[in-house]
Amino acid sequence: MTNAPVQAEAAALPALGNEPRRKPKDPATYLTYALLIFGALLLLVPFYWMLTNSLKTEADASKIPPSLLPEQLLWSNYPDALAKMDFLNALANTTVITTLSVLGQVISSSLVGFGFARFRFRGRNFLFLLMLSTMMLPPQVSMIPLFIGFRNLGMIDTIWPLVLPMWLGTPFYVFMFRQFFSQVPEELVEAARIDGASNLMIYSRLMLPLSTPVIAIVAIYTFMFTWNDFLGPLIYLNTPEMRTLALALNAFSGQYGVSDVQLLMAASFVTMLPCILLFFAAQRYFVDTGASSGLKG
Amino acid sequence: MTFAKAARFLLAFAALLAVVWSFVHVGQRTYKQWDRDRKDTRTVLTILHWGDNAEVEIVDKLVKAFEADNPDIRINRVHASDYDAKLNTLFAAGDPPDLFYLKFDMLPKLAGMGLLTPLDERVEADRLAGDPWIDSFYPVVLDAFQFDGKEIGKGPLYGVAKDFTTMLFYVNVDLFNRAGVAVPYDGWTWSEFEDAARKITALEDPNGQVYGAVLATWPDVLRHIVWAFGGDYFNGADFHDVQLDSPGTIASLEAIRTLRFEDNTVYNATTGDAQGLGEQEFFTGRIGMVGPIGRWRTPRFRSIDDFKWDVVPSPTTPGVDPVSAIATVAWSMSSTTEHPDEAYRLLKFLCGPVGQKLTAESGLAIPCIREVAESDAFLRPDLAPANARLFLDLIDAARLGQMPEEAEFARIMQEEVEKSIRLNQQDPAEAARRVEDRWLTELDAPLRNDTFPIMPWGWVGGVTAGVLCTAVALLFFWLRREKLGAIDRSQERAGWIFISPWLIGFVVLTFGPMLVSLLLSLSKWTSMQPLSGAEFVGLSNFEHLFQSDASFLKSLWVTFYYAALAVPILQIAALLVAVLMNQAVKGITVFRTIFFVPSVVSGVALATLWIMIFDGEKGILNRILDATIGLISIPSPDWFGVDAEIFAIPAFVIMALWGVGAGMVIYLAGLKGIPKSLYEAARIDGAGRIRQFLTITIPMLSPLIFFNLVMGVIGSFQIFTQVYVMTSGGPGNATLVYVLKLYREAFEYHKMGYASAMAWVLFVVLLAMTLLVVRSSKKWVHYEGLK
Repeated sequence: MTNAPVQAEAAALPALGNEPRRKPKDPATYLTYALLIFGALLLLVPFYWMLTNSLKTEADASKIPPSLLPEQLLWSNYPDALAKMDFLNALANTTVITTLSVLGQVISSSLVGFGFARFRFRGRNFLFLLMLSTMMLPPQVSMIPLFIGFRNLGMIDTIWPLVLPMWLGTPFYVFMFRQFFSQVPEELVEAARIDGASNLMIYSRLMLPLSTPVIAIVAIYTFMFTWNDFLGPLIYLNTPEMRTLALALNAFSGQYGVSDVQLLMAASFVTMLPCILLFFAAQRYFVDTGASSGLKG
Repeated sequence: MTFAKAARFLLAFAALLAVVWSFVHVGQRTYKQWDRDRKDTRTVLTILHWGDNAEVEIVDKLVKAFEADNPDIRINRVHASDYDAKLNTLFAAGDPPDLFYLKFDMLPKLAGMGLLTPLDERVEADRLAGDPWIDSFYPVVLDAFQFDGKEIGKGPLYGVAKDFTTMLFYVNVDLFNRAGVAVPYDGWTWSEFEDAARKITALEDPNGQVYGAVLATWPDVLRHIVWAFGGDYFNGADFHDVQLDSPGTIASLEAIRTLRFEDNTVYNATTGDAQGLGEQEFFTGRIGMVGPIGRWRTPRFRSIDDFKWDVVPSPTTPGVDPVSAIATVAWSMSSTTEHPDEAYRLLKFLCGPVGQKLTAESGLAIPCIREVAESDAFLRPDLAPANARLFLDLIDAARLGQMPEEAEFARIMQEEVEKSIRLNQQDPAEAARRVEDRWLTELDAPLRNDTFPIMPWGWVGGVTAGVLCTAVALLFFWLRREKLGAIDRSQERAGWIFISPWLIGFVVLTFGPMLVSLLLSLSKWTSMQPLSGAEFVGLSNFEHLFQSDASFLKSLWVTFYYAALAVPILQIAALLVAVLMNQAVKGITVFRTIFFVPSVVSGVALATLWIMIFDGEKGILNRILDATIGLISIPSPDWFGVDAEIFAIPAFVIMALWGVGAGMVIYLAGLKGIPKSLYEAARIDGAGRIRQFLTITIPMLSPLIFFNLVMGVIGSFQIFTQVYVMTSGGPGNATLVYVLKLYREAFEYHKMGYASAMAWVLFVVLLAMTLLVVRSSKKWVHYEGLK
């Protein structure tokens, strides 16, 4: 969770220009390449290790010292692993929870951000500061009373304790939307108002379409957080049919130790695949800091 | 690029399909459940169990057979792999299953809390009705589930064992033969064991180092070894009289420590999970013997075809009669079941001859009915182990260990003893002294023994509500005092409406829970009882934390250690990588992608991957280290093994470092925002690259660094998932991070008040840390043109 707000801060930054290209003969260029390649290799090792192990036989995977390449490519590990973790069911659960969370987060945070950005009301600054300061609270403080509350509402073993909070805004995302909406020129809003647009129309027809980069970032972070969330489902979901992918994955390394490491690796890879795919699809919002160019000022 | 566009379109389309399918799938399932519940008028019994596929099959068969015989009952069979966590949360949620697996060591805790239904009356009624079914059971497995509030083996019967096992050693007969050691079918002593281990370890093998043995040493089976030396944990059921420092106990611990660390003839596995210890290694044929463990490994070992294996008795010491610990699991009934009669019928069936026979055939455990156990269904003369009778012979030597109902003992024991026999950090006498210290402090703590008044919820709630109402009313009048124009009023109304989602969230999800949590932190309350039973203890929870709970201070220390390493290292790495990524060289976008991708992996997938990487012997990290720094003869650390006290936490930092891309993008964006004119001016003044970095880049980025520091501190104090999945706090308590400890108190020991107190301590610590950063920030944070 912490990564998300931190990354998102990028969006609030002033934007960029292009660096002048270095001359190719500069010795520093070679050093740069050396560092880049070295670092990239280092960061790719874990992926490599996961993939090789996911294709090994059980005997091969428990060899000491470990073999760097599988003796044979055992593709059947993948279907086996998926069957073992009841993959489709867990995938459906995770997808439903994630979709509802992303929708809720984008809608609620943008509404609240709009409220803070474009309306003058007494207590606004106080509430805004109050909201920012709640970012500092460890979730563990409210974890137990929330559990009791949801228990009394009979919501244990349903998706609601995981989804409902997402529909009530998250301070950091509200902050991002508020920063963005504050920068939309007042003339635009005025013009819309003169044309007879209501507040809700200004929000939905003017503000939201303008804020695609922020929406993308909020959506992506919420996706990643929910997809990988472990403590929430662990506490609130009970029956195996309700399991999310993170829980199903943990069930592999259950109480009596990991026995099928190769299956576990295959399952881990499949579980993280959607996150990686999403990253490739949306990488301009992450790496090219496209969002920050939309957030000038 | 059309290709990229097409790919993105396909991806979006696939995602859309997946979402639609998921909703349909989940909707359908929910509807079916609802529909079935509506139409089905049968009594529903929920049962909870664990086990691998073979066991699932057994339970499933039994359930189907029972349903066929009893058309008035439907069974909702729930299988859980993370069983303890699941059972605990179900109890905490006030919705326990009607019947569930009860491991013998959980009996005192659950029976002590009054969560189990005693079965004696029903069993007795059956006897009087001429159905003495229970008398066909081995007496020891019935004793194992009797508990009179203090002692196991006496008092009411709280469960009927479904199966059990005695403890012995599995041996690799081929290795014994090669080493010229006779297989000790008729028993042996520990010195013979040590000798055999030495001879087997000396064998040369093309497949790598051979070890004499693997010893299983989690508290239950460790006790088996302790007994063999004439020691014990307690003097009977007197839990104040700790016997860890008795000569027998010390001798047994010292024997294990010596074998592992001096003789190096016993393999000290690195895996974080003690339960799986070494059994995998036995499979590879390079371990002479593994034990003391029970019958449960037999089915798996039956798939071994590279070598001959068998079972032998555990070694003994002179003057001590052979004794065997047992492990057993019962079907128990929760005390809140609404259908005790039906549940009892089911329980009787599940434990009955049909089930026992299926258990026997699976080979997983010893059936509890003598007749079944002594039949060929269990002994299987056609299959390994040839010496299977030994499992039954040991029943006469079976002993039940007394365990206190406070689950803390097993934890303390494991933490301190592991430091001695797995990490070699303290000698057994020291470990024994510390266990006794910590245990008696816990047992005699005022929080546990004093009587406290019941929490006056009505009074407290009334006052709180009153204060809140007054505050809201005052606010309202203050707002009304000022007259507003029509536009202002509509502005105000719209503003409040738009922010209302957050406002509701704040009250319901933050403020309210915080208030409750604050009140809970002043109370003693187990989540097994209704809230009205909470006792008001004042500040005793906090007092207990700081005075009587050694693992609390340890968890604080571990978390500080992590934060102190993680926060600066991660920030510096992110900043340096960002500078690197800011170089305008060809192909930089590819590198940016590579550097960023790892940070999208998190949670359980991340943890399971890194378990593999850090593994001392099978992991790739140590292979790389051996090939690099190993050359200058620095040995690579055994991350979660022997070197855990120092290296386990840095290991988590390394893991976090893999996700450096997350921090990198922020600094990258910041770097791009620095006006180039500044650098040009500096260059004209003759400043070199490093100087430019120090005098321009750092100050210009300082607001960002400040922000990241604050978020980093908060985040690193909350580290949980990785630790929970990878080490669950061990070995010893080397990785017992704060939130893990908090989670345990709340959801394992059900001490909600105590856990709330911990949450507030965390809050105060975080507040202090943040204020510290904020205060210091005035000195070094540079705000360029701050409005």
